[in-house]
Amino acid sequence: MEYILKNGIVYDPINEINGEKKDVMFKDGKIVNSVSDSAKVIDVTDKLVMPAGIDVHCHLAGPKLCVGRLYRPEDERRGVKPKTDITRAETGFSIPNCPATGYRFSRMGYGTVVEAAVPPLEAKHTHEEIIAIPNIDIPPLTLFGNNWFIMQFAKEGRIDDIAAFVSAWLKITKGYGVKIVNPCGSEAWGWGMNVHGIDDPAPYWDVTAREVIRALAQANEMLGLPHSIHVHPNDLGHPGNFPTTINSIDCMKDIKKNSEYRNQTIHLTHAQFHCYDGTSWRDVTSGVEPVADYINKHDHVTADMGQVTLDETTTMTADGPMEYDLYELTGLKWANKDIELETASGLVPFIYSGRNPVHSLQWAIGLELALMIEDPWKICLTTDSPNAGPFIRYPRVMSWLMSYQRRAEMMDNKEVHAWAGRKSALGTLDREYDFYDIATITRAGPSKIYGFEDRGHLGAGAIADIAVYDLEPNNFDPTRNAAAVEKAFSNALYTIKDGQVLVKDGEIVKIVSSKHVRTEVEGFEDEEKRILEEIMPFFNRYYTIKFENYVVHDHYAEPSSVYKVNASK
Amino acid sequence: MAYEPPVTDYDEIVENCTCAFCGSNCDDVDILVKDNHVVGVRHACRLGASKIMEDEDQRLTVPMIRDENGELMEVDWDTALDRAAELIAGAVRPVFYGWSETSIEAMKPGLELTELVGAVIDNQATICHGPTVQAVQNVGYPLMTLGEVKNRADMVVYTGSNPMNAHPRHLARYTTFPKGFFRKRGRFDRTLVTWDPKYSDTAKLSDIWIPFEENGDYGFCNAIRAVLKGKELKQDFISGIPKEDIVALTEKMKNTQFGALFFGLGLTHTLSKQRNIDIAIQLVQDLNKYTKWVLLPMRGHFNVNGFNIFMAYEMGFPYGVDFCRGYPRYMIGETTTIDLLNRKECDVFMVIAADPGAHFPGGALAHLVDIPVIQIDIHWGPSTELADVVLPGTFIGVETAGTSYRMDSVPIYMKKAIDPPETCREDEWIVNELLQRVKKIKEASK
Amino acid sequence: MTYIEKPSISNVVKFEDPDVAQVKKLTVMLNTGTDIYQGACKKRGSTLKDEYRKVAGVCYMDPKDMARLGVGNWESVLVKSDWGEVVVYAAHSRDAPHEGMIFIPKGPWANVVVSPETYCCSDPTYKGIKATVEKTDKEVLLMADLMRDVYKKYVKEGDKPEELPSLGEMPVYKKIRSG
Repeated sequence: MEYILKNGIVYDPINEINGEKKDVMFKDGKIVNSVSDSAKVIDVTDKLVMPAGIDVHCHLAGPKLCVGRLYRPEDERRGVKPKTDITRAETGFSIPNCPATGYRFSRMGYGTVVEAAVPPLEAKHTHEEIIAIPNIDIPPLTLFGNNWFIMQFAKEGRIDDIAAFVSAWLKITKGYGVKIVNPCGSEAWGWGMNVHGIDDPAPYWDVTAREVIRALAQANEMLGLPHSIHVHPNDLGHPGNFPTTINSIDCMKDIKKNSEYRNQTIHLTHAQFHCYDGTSWRDVTSGVEPVADYINKHDHVTADMGQVTLDETTTMTADGPMEYDLYELTGLKWANKDIELETASGLVPFIYSGRNPVHSLQWAIGLELALMIEDPWKICLTTDSPNAGPFIRYPRVMSWLMSYQRRAEMMDNKEVHAWAGRKSALGTLDREYDFYDIATITRAGPSKIYGFEDRGHLGAGAIADIAVYDLEPNNFDPTRNAAAVEKAFSNALYTIKDGQVLVKDGEIVKIVSSKHVRTEVEGFEDEEKRILEEIMPFFNRYYTIKFENYVVHDHYAEPSSVYKVNASK
Repeated sequence: MAYEPPVTDYDEIVENCTCAFCGSNCDDVDILVKDNHVVGVRHACRLGASKIMEDEDQRLTVPMIRDENGELMEVDWDTALDRAAELIAGAVRPVFYGWSETSIEAMKPGLELTELVGAVIDNQATICHGPTVQAVQNVGYPLMTLGEVKNRADMVVYTGSNPMNAHPRHLARYTTFPKGFFRKRGRFDRTLVTWDPKYSDTAKLSDIWIPFEENGDYGFCNAIRAVLKGKELKQDFISGIPKEDIVALTEKMKNTQFGALFFGLGLTHTLSKQRNIDIAIQLVQDLNKYTKWVLLPMRGHFNVNGFNIFMAYEMGFPYGVDFCRGYPRYMIGETTTIDLLNRKECDVFMVIAADPGAHFPGGALAHLVDIPVIQIDIHWGPSTELADVVLPGTFIGVETAGTSYRMDSVPIYMKKAIDPPETCREDEWIVNELLQRVKKIKEASK
Repeated sequence: MTYIEKPSISNVVKFEDPDVAQVKKLTVMLNTGTDIYQGACKKRGSTLKDEYRKVAGVCYMDPKDMARLGVGNWESVLVKSDWGEVVVYAAHSRDAPHEGMIFIPKGPWANVVVSPETYCCSDPTYKGIKATVEKTDKEVLLMADLMRDVYKKYVKEGDKPEELPSLGEMPVYKKIRSG
């Protein structure tokens, strides 16, 4: 089937198309340069056209989400929508049920969403949820930062073996890339402890975050994986944590990248939570400036925002000790889930409020990051959904980034507490994102960062994932119309996925299966076999499940989209 | 017990099968097969082995419906499925109960059918750990996978639960006896504690037994919390336990390196129900101020947790979900099976992979006498005595592969060892057939 | 630590024990739940068999309580609660002592006497139920007979279930190919 999207105003930063009026053509699910006369015409004259959105970091499928849904029916009762002839019922606000997750991303014009943390032992669960989520492709990142084997090998400096382990475990878990969460800290949480800074060793293992991050980064580049290591550094959410953040990035600047598509060797995720100065919640101030400055001066790092949206939400992370701290701080119900040999995790509901000084400062810090990091290719739009806010708020964050007037208004009329202005530089930042910048931080940049050569742009050969919004960029001023920006980005005029129209006029018109996007390393099979043989006795002794039953079987990952990586390259 | 020589006459051993009995989901079971029959089981406990070495006399092998005399008679699959589909399609308030002893794969068409007809879907959690889920919703859920306990725990507490009877390998495989990475001497490195009014088989193995009095669970946990918070106990005996003992135990719990609390139906079935669990969870949360503590409910069926997880990710609510309004509603005490039966609200009852005849109070079962009952199961059981349509399924984990979730939410793909009997059908197939037939009836009546 | 000492269990309590006063009826607290024998028999599928009656149609009692009632192992007792009454075997509890408490493993027999009341909490009350126990001459029924006797779902009007012939220990249904 051939289609032609006619006369849209196209923003496609990878192909350097900045608001040109042009046609986008696609055939059999792929973008093409020309189509025959019989192509079906979709008229989008003067409307905003972009590649479909890519979310670099979201918690949307897996065991943590399920604990959240199980223990927060009060959240599920928000956002209930009855079934229609096409869609199933929706529930939930910060932790929607799987169908709602797919529909809502699809309605916002998103096509690919990264699941940010998969414990290998429960990877099957994540894939089961991906099967239940419709309409978006999902690459899951596998957790490695507190894995006992990795910690042991990192201590011994066995980079080759880590590479073999990572290569094997990406296949076993059907994962896309390497996620590191509070390296060594989540292991310390096994004993109710934490680590502070990158040189504080994990109990017993006597290995530091610095060693683990470096070792995994080296292994990642040895394999030449499409994505770099994806790091949630130590000390998340602690006042005075920005030096830890900079140290975590800086400690690996000498590591050479092995990928032609992406530029970075480390992705710093939900940076907002990692940019605090001060010593306590009383004297906390923004620590964005030094971090943004570092990122501006170095090309081996990219980041995403983790923008606070001032909603009641559910925090969830593999950073177990942080969640306990949060529980002590708020007294709200605490859930925890430690995974044997691999990681910890925790959940606490959280009520961000513009009346609260700290939350308002967090709000300002996220925006500061996006405005102070000069190159939009180095920062992506996220809310670390649902941690800093649910993903349905992305359009609102866009509206803030696009309008200095709106930000000033929020600070002036007390929609946020005075701390937002007093303790950060947000009030002085008059930079405003344009549609090209928005396309960069939600499409092009993520595509580069993840090595998704086939998506995030509209060049011939890319998969036809396209979003059209009901805005006319040529006669619309986003700096003055924040509400209209939010509305338009929340309800795509068209969302096209693999060449199929899934959303029209903000409503779901078609359901398709989500693809499990994963990486497979080729040319490392002997090393994988050797390392598996070596660790198998240990595995059998200390896991409570047989290796045969630990592996994610193929039928959990259909349909798949596999990125093959040739390790010998 | 008389000595039985080991089984030597078999064709093959199917290794690493997952036991489809309790929530321990032991996945190291070896099944000995001869001529497509199970002739022996290795590594399973008494419960698991008895289930895998099933009683073939009582195997449901053919579809049946009641004749005009109220006697069950064999019919072909089409007749039985059509009869069941008619009942479901014609129902105003159908309840689909069970699911905990089948696979996630079978639940999928089951949920689709539920959404199609606007039924209530519910599982065994409603009569076992339902209060636990409510407590979790009240105060939180600090848990772990069982390997954490195996590798780290130096104190293990069981309360309101008798794993030596209900989860026989739980101590041996996960918590108490195994040699863990940081507990190299296994049992000798751990303190096993049982809080139970009865001197249960688990208490008999324990280092410390706290026999608080019946219904004394809440008071006892509360007393420990008080001591933890530095309060002085004003009574000499609390829930029948001397004050000094409570203080001493609290100290011991504070000074462990890694403690794990496991609780069972002893807490959920007594009068304080979810409040017992509330306080136990809060106790564990308080203990984390001093050292590491975690807890886990002892889930009974091998996939009871799986159903709750499945429903949570599909529809946002764990059990007792009502679709009569076209969107899911979850109201404990309103949309839950026993309450619906007590109120005589439901008009067709389908039970799959469960046995309410054996496990529901007579007062609730009385309503099943007045309404049609459809049963999908593998054995002739008490529910068959109340069933109007009987559809014979297959045995997950032995005859059919499928996904289940262990009590600690670890997903396991349960493989099959033998082929099912020719006349039986997989649960997934049966439910899907019902779905297609109900769809057809609904479309025809449009 | 000074915990209450673990009891030694006496398997035999003599009826003429001077500490034990004979009574006709005991008021007790009834608990139900699983035990390994019931679990194994139920999940094997042998619920029609005599074996199931022996593992689930049984009331585990403190030996002293049994002496008070004057019942021996495997003699019948009648258990009554607000919710119904059922005849089960009496047997010495392995978990004794627990005077004043009886335990019936979960199953069709226990169901008759437990409370369906959920107190708006989804879960019926299976434990801590007030009941009485007395000696009886009646037989403990097999599962199928018990279900017929209690629920009478397919009993014709006018028929008295207790007078009907036993349904036995094997499935009863009309086969197509039985010829």
